[in-house]
Amino acid sequence: MPDGRAVVRVENLEKYFRPGFGLRKKQILHGISFCVRQGEIFGFVGPNGAGKTTTLKVLMGLIRPTGGRAAILGRDVRETAFRRHVGFLPENPYFYDHLSGRETLDFYARLCGVRSSERRRRVNALLRWVGLWKAADARLRTYSKGMQQRVGIAQALVHDPDVVFLDEPMTGLDPIGRKEIRDLILRLRTEGKTVFMNTHILSDVEMVCDRVAIIVNGRIRYEGATEEILEGGERETEVVLVGLASEAAELLEETVAARLRGMGERIEVRVTEKCVDDVLRIAMECGAEIVSVTPHRRSLESIFLSAVEEGER
Amino acid sequence: MKLLVCIWAIAINTVRESIRNKILYALLFFAVLMIGSGVIIGALSYVEQERILQDVGLAAIRLFSVLIAIFVGINLIYKEVDRRTVYTILSKPLSRAVFLVGKYVGLTLTIWMQMSIMGGVFVAVSLAAGAPLAWQHGAFFLLTAAELALVVSIATFFSSFTTPMLASFFTTGVWVVGQLTRNLRDIGARSESRAVEVSTAALHRLLPDLEGLNLASEAAHLLPITPSDILFPLTYAFGYVTLVLMGATFLFERRDLR
Repeated sequence: MPDGRAVVRVENLEKYFRPGFGLRKKQILHGISFCVRQGEIFGFVGPNGAGKTTTLKVLMGLIRPTGGRAAILGRDVRETAFRRHVGFLPENPYFYDHLSGRETLDFYARLCGVRSSERRRRVNALLRWVGLWKAADARLRTYSKGMQQRVGIAQALVHDPDVVFLDEPMTGLDPIGRKEIRDLILRLRTEGKTVFMNTHILSDVEMVCDRVAIIVNGRIRYEGATEEILEGGERETEVVLVGLASEAAELLEETVAARLRGMGERIEVRVTEKCVDDVLRIAMECGAEIVSVTPHRRSLESIFLSAVEEGER
Repeated sequence: MKLLVCIWAIAINTVRESIRNKILYALLFFAVLMIGSGVIIGALSYVEQERILQDVGLAAIRLFSVLIAIFVGINLIYKEVDRRTVYTILSKPLSRAVFLVGKYVGLTLTIWMQMSIMGGVFVAVSLAAGAPLAWQHGAFFLLTAAELALVVSIATFFSSFTTPMLASFFTTGVWVVGQLTRNLRDIGARSESRAVEVSTAALHRLLPDLEGLNLASEAAHLLPITPSDILFPLTYAFGYVTLVLMGATFLFERRDLR
């Protein structure tokens, strides 16, 4: 589990792009700051065009920041030597389709300086780990999208890095493929790796990420532990009633701003946590039967949407 | 040592990728056709049939090798960025300079391989037609290999920051002007205008002097070649390639790979 040491530190990062020759520069990142701690799965969440991939490319040294500072394992991202401790899966990864899965991993292992004695063992282990052992010698052009994604994860891990960066690892995958990749990510955490995951699939973030940062229009709108975000704020409770009179229903809507959804005799009442006692009192006073009382966590989606709305205001 | 391992891994991968390029085979086919056609062209002549055969063959080798170098070289870096294969490679512990040099070495090896095939066809046709083969032919191939290495470096340079279309235009332009820079300098030296003299001399220094790397006439006509005719151009080509690759690295390192 996270021990608090910052593995990735981004401070006031700025990036401007010129959209075309002679056109004015456009600011993509507006001085963003965040940190990723050792051993955690960090979700970097935002709508399309928010600056997620730009941030990741800065971290990978693929584009140069205009201002601010970004460091991984205490080293400036423009250096190269520390990258032997870093793995990267880009969005929709492309590989040389004339190579087989095994040759691809061997190629990347050579680039990482993995010794020949270690290389064969490591490549074979990874092919098994990502479930590509049977297809190891087939050319990549015959691989499905999910298999390509797994090759992508394997190449990111071929040198046994400490930190792994994944850009939209679930994109284009079917539910089974997503589950497989999710399981692989969780296995990385059990092996003590730090994972930085760029994504816009919120359900995946809820399921795997320890902490999240929400970026909107190049600005960080929220950063914190996933649990804290979901547990924090006003929670809603769902009360299910049977036999609620229409006058009582109107009273609930007026007095506690309850949202009612009826299905025959059965009525679902959604209210904030502090109003639950009032709902129960009114229900009992008018003789309705209380079937269940279920507290609901805030969804990441609602938090994300309000962050986007706030960012666009 | 690790640097060399990385360069070699990228180079070998580039060779494997380049030999799948269909343009290479199309040009190679026409080159072989043209070398073979030297027999027919020579037969149409009453005198020096073997010389004509060799003139045509050596010119074909040089021209088609350069065309292959340009058309395969211009895509060298652009394709890696466009297909985003460069993202995973540059996220590994290697510099952009190592990547660029690896790609350059790979393409140069590919071009040299296809030149060897053309050379093999040339030797076979010459032997079949009874045309003489001498060490001058070896010198021709050596300097042509150096010229190709230089052309590939120029294609790599332009490919590192521009589109294939512009890179092909610029590289072809530099190669054509490179055949003339020595003549231009000599014409400029005889000019009465100081400005013309200085500018043609500057052009000769800036752009490659490819005429010095062309021993086709010496080989076809078995003219004498001194050691300095080989050593000086080889050193010149090596130095020029080094400078061009340094320039390419300088530009590529500053480029945002969006």
